[in-house]
Amino acid sequence: MTGPYESYGRRLRRRATRRRLLIGAGATVGALVVGVPLAVEYGRPALAEWMLGRGTGPAEIPESSLVWFELTGDGVTVYVPKIEMGQGVHTALAQIAAEELRVPPERLAVVQADTARGFPAQTLFTFGSTSVASLYTPIREAAAAVREMLALEAARQLGVDAKALTAADGAFQVSGTGRRLAYGEVISAHSGPWQEPPKQPELRPVQEFTSIGRSAPRVDFRAKLLGEAVYGYDARLPDMGYGAYAVPPRFGAELLDAQPGDAAGMPGVQQVVIDLPAGFAGVVADTRTRAWAALNALRLRWSEGSRTDTAAVEEQVTASHGVVLRRDGSISRALAEGTRVEAAYRTPLAAHAHLEPLAALARVEPGAGGRVELWVPTQSPGSVVEDVRAALGEQREVVLHVTQLGGSFGRKGGQHLAVAAARLSAAAGRPVHVGWTRDTDMRQGFYRPPTHTVMRGSVGTDGRIRGVEQVTAAGDIIWAVAGLPEPVRDLLGFDPGGLLGLFLPYELPAYRLVNRREQLPVPTGPWRGLGLMPNTFALESFVDELAEAAGADPLEFRLAHLSESDPEARRLRTVLRTAAQMARWGEPLPPGRGRGIACSGDVGTVVAMVAEVDLSGGRLRVTGMDVAVDCGLVVNPAGAKLQAQGSVVMGLSSALREELRIEDGQVVSDNFDSYPIIDMASTPPIRVTFTGDGEVPQGMGEPVIGPVPAAVANAVRAAGGPRLRTLPLRP
Amino acid sequence: MNGRSHPIEHADEPLLWVLRDELGLTGTHYGCGIGACGCCTVLVAGEPVRSCQVTAASVGERPVTTMEGLAERGPDGQVTALHPVQQAFLETPLQCGWCLPGHILCAVALLNRNPAPDEAAIAEAAQPNLCRCGGYNTIKAAVARAAELARSS
Repeated sequence: MTGPYESYGRRLRRRATRRRLLIGAGATVGALVVGVPLAVEYGRPALAEWMLGRGTGPAEIPESSLVWFELTGDGVTVYVPKIEMGQGVHTALAQIAAEELRVPPERLAVVQADTARGFPAQTLFTFGSTSVASLYTPIREAAAAVREMLALEAARQLGVDAKALTAADGAFQVSGTGRRLAYGEVISAHSGPWQEPPKQPELRPVQEFTSIGRSAPRVDFRAKLLGEAVYGYDARLPDMGYGAYAVPPRFGAELLDAQPGDAAGMPGVQQVVIDLPAGFAGVVADTRTRAWAALNALRLRWSEGSRTDTAAVEEQVTASHGVVLRRDGSISRALAEGTRVEAAYRTPLAAHAHLEPLAALARVEPGAGGRVELWVPTQSPGSVVEDVRAALGEQREVVLHVTQLGGSFGRKGGQHLAVAAARLSAAAGRPVHVGWTRDTDMRQGFYRPPTHTVMRGSVGTDGRIRGVEQVTAAGDIIWAVAGLPEPVRDLLGFDPGGLLGLFLPYELPAYRLVNRREQLPVPTGPWRGLGLMPNTFALESFVDELAEAAGADPLEFRLAHLSESDPEARRLRTVLRTAAQMARWGEPLPPGRGRGIACSGDVGTVVAMVAEVDLSGGRLRVTGMDVAVDCGLVVNPAGAKLQAQGSVVMGLSSALREELRIEDGQVVSDNFDSYPIIDMASTPPIRVTFTGDGEVPQGMGEPVIGPVPAAVANAVRAAGGPRLRTLPLRP
Repeated sequence: MNGRSHPIEHADEPLLWVLRDELGLTGTHYGCGIGACGCCTVLVAGEPVRSCQVTAASVGERPVTTMEGLAERGPDGQVTALHPVQQAFLETPLQCGWCLPGHILCAVALLNRNPAPDEAAIAEAAQPNLCRCGGYNTIKAAVARAAELARSS
């Protein structure tokens, strides 16, 4: 299952060149294998450094090969070190490589890199909308170097100067002649070591791109349409059993006792595994439903755990005091002047609700030191490997294959399932697949933490904001998964994930921002955009309230408070104007209908959007979304548009429907009947325009979700409805 | 099953798990187990059915079509032509693809009974199926395109 490249990491001599290319030593005959080493580039470097400095990040920033190119007589394979969960990253990275390789992207074979091919697990971490932005330049430089190595060899074979060669369409053309030599021919005719290029080849200027910037077909989609793609739930091995394991009935409950009960004698049950010191009880059976049935027959005793509920969690998240994150000017003086506005906003707990529930397959070889091989749908392979080693033995070799992910949105990180599958496999002596039921997936998650934001501000008679005071409380995001002691987290007072979207981008004479983080009895953690959407809901709703107090048009009010000189503010002005133009901002609408605008910035990308709503039927209907995005250079316009529309739909789902409910220490909204997500009928046409003209791409997976609920709430008010300050919006 | 007969060992189990785990047809997906998401959709005698909601036995000998059974294949099993619905979704793809069984097979059933559906008919046929990646706009366009492709083939 691992293919012929499983031992790259061990087999290659990794001869590093001046520019630290890694040239495969096994690749002298009939193949050219080149790797690109680079430090993992975090899209949020300050956060990464901060965490590293405190020992909460990865043990080291790995410097290891992140992209491998393999060229043979048959074609070019790119091993991509980022994980495909639907965001289209494999396609975008292939396009970037294709540009400098001078090979059409559809002719590249794109393969998921994983630890089975020698990639350190932590280098595969896929998060924070950073994949394309962080790998854009390294992949281009590496691909150009590969092309130059081929060119030097082709020139030698042809007996011409390399300068006479032009690379296009996977072949070299000799200028002034009709002679043509395909890459595969160059490689097949080559023997001996490869000569590295004497200097870093020049990269193609943006204006000459033929691959980057064009919509390319998705490299993963044909297999998905044929039903052949392997997601985590689909991973299979011969003689595999189906596992199920006990999960706590309430948050924080611990397994006190477990007895097999009638499980062992039930049809198809192969193994009952009870390991009380590890807090583990599970079963293996010959079918999945029999495993689930046998699990229910185990006699389990749990400690009480938390008896919390939604109201108690929301009460704990109440903005009142905290650490001061921003203090500009005199807020008390500002608030004493002009027309004062005060409002409080809330967002609830929410689930990721990826459609593929969590799953994992493990094969553990016999003996205490037996090798562990895993097939897991995960964004965070490093933590899966760490978790499995911690549970089964630090000395074990753990090989992790990453499958396709049926959605994730932040959820599919380190997973108990991989550990459970490995425990069950070790005990049963056969491969074991564990797949959660939907209700288990919903109950055993971590969730988007609730937020409460109190905003106070004032506007003068000149229509300008005098000052804003912002007091925010939220459950943990990064701290919930970073393993820092609670007293330290409390001393810091803020969660780094909660900083996203937290700061008003407008020019304010006085601004005071107070933040408070809360460790909740409910597990919370990363959800698409982290704090971006909840924070932007409060900020961009409040800016509309200030505009209303000033009697100003919400678009003009925003433009008036965005700096003309600050680069990010200028980009915000552009996307605001573009979205407004797309939506015919200012043109009259029939009664009961209205438009709302909102904007935000994250991971180098700025977004603005106009929501149009209709209240005339007695209920809230969103009838259109006009979205302008500046994410710099767009690598794959079709893919970026899907990402933008996907963020809008997920944001609308939060705006209109989603609310995770907790009763007696457990999630009670545990399936799509009790936790409805948005459907086709409630999804309006979503138009997307990209306004960026940058030289480099920025993040695209998360930023667009930021302004969605605020735009809708602002539109409800503009349509003559009430000012709605709580998600989901209920007029 | 996709034109072939299979004896079933666990006929009392939901069709979904028999397909996936007994027959190895993992192109039919599990999403919710309560018939609310559409990820497990198959065609039984041409009609969309939520395979998590019926036992294999209840299907009896009626023909079942899954994602694996849509494309035309040569004698060696290699795909020779995609179904027009597959072709349309290849041109205008979704994102993660876990929801595809519902969207694809409902579109196949729709086009079989109505080769020229209007926007409302397309939306009605797709409505029961969720897509968490948010591809609803794309799905409508892809089904309209599939109808064009089917008519011209």
